Amino acid sequence: MENEHPKPPVAGVIYGNICYWIVLVGIIVAIVGMVMYFASDGYFDKEILLDGLWDGEVVEDIWADAAGVEDVPHGHWYLSASLLSNGDVVAMLGIAICCVAAVVGMWGALVGTVRSRERLYAVFALIVAVILTLSAVGIISLE
Amino acid sequence: MGSAGAERQMELSAIEFFFIFLAISILIGIVAVLGGVGGGVVFTPLMMGFTPIDSFIIRATGLLVAMAGSLVAARPFLKRGLANIRLLLLAAVPYAIFAVIGALLAGYIKETAGDTGEAIIRLALGILIIGIAVLILFGGRKVEYPDIKNVDSITERLALATSYYEQSLAKVVHYRVKRAPIGILLFCFVGLISGLFGLGAGWAMVPTLNLVMQAPLKVAAASSKVLIGIGDTAAVWPYMMDGAIFALFAVSCVIGMVIGTVIGAKIMLRIKAGFVRWLIIVIMAGAGIKLVLDGISRLGSS
Repeated sequence: MENEHPKPPVAGVIYGNICYWIVLVGIIVAIVGMVMYFASDGYFDKEILLDGLWDGEVVEDIWADAAGVEDVPHGHWYLSASLLSNGDVVAMLGIAICCVAAVVGMWGALVGTVRSRERLYAVFALIVAVILTLSAVGIISLE
Repeated sequence: MGSAGAERQMELSAIEFFFIFLAISILIGIVAVLGGVGGGVVFTPLMMGFTPIDSFIIRATGLLVAMAGSLVAARPFLKRGLANIRLLLLAAVPYAIFAVIGALLAGYIKETAGDTGEAIIRLALGILIIGIAVLILFGGRKVEYPDIKNVDSITERLALATSYYEQSLAKVVHYRVKRAPIGILLFCFVGLISGLFGLGAGWAMVPTLNLVMQAPLKVAAASSKVLIGIGDTAAVWPYMMDGAIFALFAVSCVIGMVIGTVIGAKIMLRIKAGFVRWLIIVIMAGAGIKLVLDGISRLGSS
């Protein structure tokens, strides 16, 4: 039937749904974090951070001046339980949740391709999922 | 707004800064959608050209902005079958690999080349942005439904042909694509540019999918939008792990861009957006020229 809507591939639907909802959750967490940040002090001193950003300071200097951290903690520093009482750290967690959406979504797409027996595309999905995961866990890093 | 290294004369509070950048990002989102480009490609050069914020931080945030918008947009495109998941997975492999290489290269330049590296990045991005503005101005050739006579054997074996329901025609459109190997090569380049400069790369992906691989224009646009979310996720994590994303700046920009994109999409249905295309060209050419001049002056003084 020429006018019948073709069924979309299940891998794509899974990927789209996972990404959409995870990003939405991430944005909500980030907004809650920002509200907390403006209501009280945060991990980064707001005014010093602002000064650093507007003076064109490099990342390392901003961390040193605004958070008092001499060495930038390469990794998921915002997951530290002791820091999560700070609004800006909660906001960073929200951003990280957004960034993890495609990682989880791609593993979902892999399941979809396997279920629909698309072997070649399952391999492509696996490669991309592995790259995204390595990147997200910090194995691929600038350090 | 001053240039990098300028004395800070801004008497804003953090909350005012947040809402100003939220408003700017909403505007960028609206204008970008109306102009038919992604938000990232306007955001990064504009911020680099006209704010003193360090370019590494702007590029990290630019990737985040492009990624978030694209991930939200992915669901309807994939649900309607407009974005071809096979085409996406095929292109995502080179795109993601080279986006990561681009991000790592950005970090390497930052660590080793100092001011000269910053100058070269600004100069190269400026030239690229002027090139994109020229591409938007003159390279308007797009084929809505390409007529494919022959498909090469590699592309044929990849089984990329599929169909989707085209609402405006009220019928199912069956399509094939061709030249997958050339497409894969081009996606390597697109990924590198995207990761290195912190841009979404729809401006390069749509022509690759539409003109080179001959996918229908709507399929190319939808697939490119979804693809940005995948490649930019791979590239944004190294920046994030390097501490280059600050919530105060990033959250306002991401939320602003998502809101702006939604508003822009609604406005687009009601107005003729021809003048906005010109506005985009002027903005991008202006930001590009500013970046080139900035890069040259920094090269001279470094």
